[in-house]
Amino acid sequence: MPLLASLEHSAFGTWVREAPTIWAYATILFLHTVGLGFVVGANVAIDLRILGVARDMPLAPMRKLFPWMWAGFIVNALSGVALLIADATTKLGNPVFGVKMAFIALGVVNMAWSKPKVVLDPMPVNAKRVAVVSLILWIGATTAGRLMGYLGPVSGLE
Amino acid sequence: MSPTGLIPLGGALQAYAAWVNTTWLHFFAINYKWVWATMETLHFLGLGLMVGTIGVLDLRLLGFLKGLPVRSVQKLVPWGIGAFVLNTLTGIVFLAGAPYQYLYNLAFQMKVIFMLAAGVNVFVFYSGTWPVTRTIGAGQTAPWAARIAGAVSLFLWIGVMYWGRMLTFFRPPFVVPPK
Repeated sequence: MPLLASLEHSAFGTWVREAPTIWAYATILFLHTVGLGFVVGANVAIDLRILGVARDMPLAPMRKLFPWMWAGFIVNALSGVALLIADATTKLGNPVFGVKMAFIALGVVNMAWSKPKVVLDPMPVNAKRVAVVSLILWIGATTAGRLMGYLGPVSGLE
Repeated sequence: MSPTGLIPLGGALQAYAAWVNTTWLHFFAINYKWVWATMETLHFLGLGLMVGTIGVLDLRLLGFLKGLPVRSVQKLVPWGIGAFVLNTLTGIVFLAGAPYQYLYNLAFQMKVIFMLAAGVNVFVFYSGTWPVTRTIGAGQTAPWAARIAGAVSLFLWIGVMYWGRMLTFFRPPFVVPPK
């Protein structure tokens, strides 16, 4: 795949992967982890509330968590693109990466489309279904992301 | 073999690490590829759950989610404690699998220091301002002590993530990481 190889060996890809500084690969990986925390954490907080944890907590004010989950998502989309370019041939050749992207695509549909319609007081009847789907999708995305380091082609870059 | 890291670790700890390398948990951690991968996955799921519980309480204390009564948000915290326990247990498996790699790793030492500091912050928060802070209802501002505790908690836990991610890059040169 010459396109992927040229992406990987571009100045940017090489810098991300090989620059002898903590501010390249290591920092981008750290940002990807913090972003995970916020996108998954904010979604899970709402899901837990919908499913009955902290039942006395008003649900509608939890809408204020949406900007935090979107911030986490944007950080991860950008850091993810950088990490992907640095390791393009391996990651795009790994079926687990496709699984991860599928979970994330559905997770984004859930948080952009379904969830805003149920984070309301009183809680709509379909809220629990949206929360269960959200939990499954974000657990799936996190799991697939981790397993990319162990299954299929693995370059040694995480 | 020259130990690295912030804290010079002496012979007693080397002996301890050598002993860890003889335990069943050590062999369990490194002899099956799926064990390490599963523990990593659980560790990251625990990370997300901690941000979604402890982190959400921190944000409320800081005033970002003022519509939520503090007493209600506190009910997420037991889930955060569960996630912390999960991450401690999975972390112990990593430690047992490659004790030298962690004990002499600056990032691991910093990670433990940040976790201990977070523990002190929790103690100060609940033994200090908590009786007042727990009464803070929707729309009300948390006391300064609580806002500071929230900021310190967010800083320290993001720091724990930072040092956790830096483990690979501060890996002592004399060990081969299990994969």
